[in-house]
Amino acid sequence: METVGEELRKPAWVRRVLIGRNPARTLARAILWIILLVVLRSYVLLPIRVEGVSMLPTYKENGINFVNCLSYVFRAPQRGDVVAIRFTGRSYMLCKRIVGMPGEIIAFHHGHVEINGELLDEPYVKSPCNWEHAPELIGPDEYYVVGDNRSMDFDNHTQGRAQRVRIVGKILL
Amino acid sequence: MKRWFVRLGWLALLAAAVFWGWGYFFPNPEHVIRKELVQLAQVASIAPNEAPLTKLSKTQKLLGFFADDAQISLDVPGRSIRTFRGHEDLQQMALGARSMLNSLKVNFVDVAVTVAPDKLSAVADLTATASLPGEKIPEVQELEFHFKKMDRDWLIQRVDFVKTLR
Repeated sequence: METVGEELRKPAWVRRVLIGRNPARTLARAILWIILLVVLRSYVLLPIRVEGVSMLPTYKENGINFVNCLSYVFRAPQRGDVVAIRFTGRSYMLCKRIVGMPGEIIAFHHGHVEINGELLDEPYVKSPCNWEHAPELIGPDEYYVVGDNRSMDFDNHTQGRAQRVRIVGKILL
Repeated sequence: MKRWFVRLGWLALLAAAVFWGWGYFFPNPEHVIRKELVQLAQVASIAPNEAPLTKLSKTQKLLGFFADDAQISLDVPGRSIRTFRGHEDLQQMALGARSMLNSLKVNFVDVAVTVAPDKLSAVADLTATASLPGEKIPEVQELEFHFKKMDRDWLIQRVDFVKTLR
């Protein structure tokens, strides 16, 4: 015989889908997932929105991406890596490509990057330019970064030497 | 038993009052500076169609955050790094900006405050953003604020522009 209370209850399968067989276990699992996601979002994969045109055509404006904060834990940044560079924190970051490594001499001649006097092959650059920049020594703990979009004037493009401590991680996608 | 709970409750209230009173009469310099920076960002922002009197009063309020001999270095977009010295220079800059721009939203994020051991000076590193109407991307600059305690007030003595990329 069914009571009124049992009639008003949700069907058993709905409850099972929503809260599982054991509500205490489901709650523990949910808390664990939330902690895992918070840790992942804060220390491993930082979600970012790309603003601006300096990385065109590789990264389009308003695109969503992630910064892998663990990418340089066991290895140093490499030439060609697209990295996120922080200001005082991670609220705003610069998204640039590493073209010069520590200790190298970098220059721009007829729009091409020269590393220690040799031309750097940059297949990712689709916009030709005529940038000229005198040879510059990159410090021992610095990386020279620049955007892929070179269609604007050299002075209007944010590029230069980034300290290693400012590199948050590699852009994932 | 009930009496004990009441006594404990009173004790907790008293502790909270002492804590609040201590914070009120002897505020933590870091908290004061952070609060001041929030107020500075609000005063530096320009509301759309600001009345001339509001412009003037906000400019005066802005000057109140700075020491008489304050020096500010800013990287103004499209121009080289510009330096402003003293209240008069700052006033001209603020009034000029207010007459030139219809609206501006200034924000300070990722603020790190370091107070000197003598608690008479402090440095605040922060990322300043300035959003102009019609521009999708805000201007982002890293700034270093040098504060000096004068009487009971923390006044800005110097603002340096920090180059994120050298």
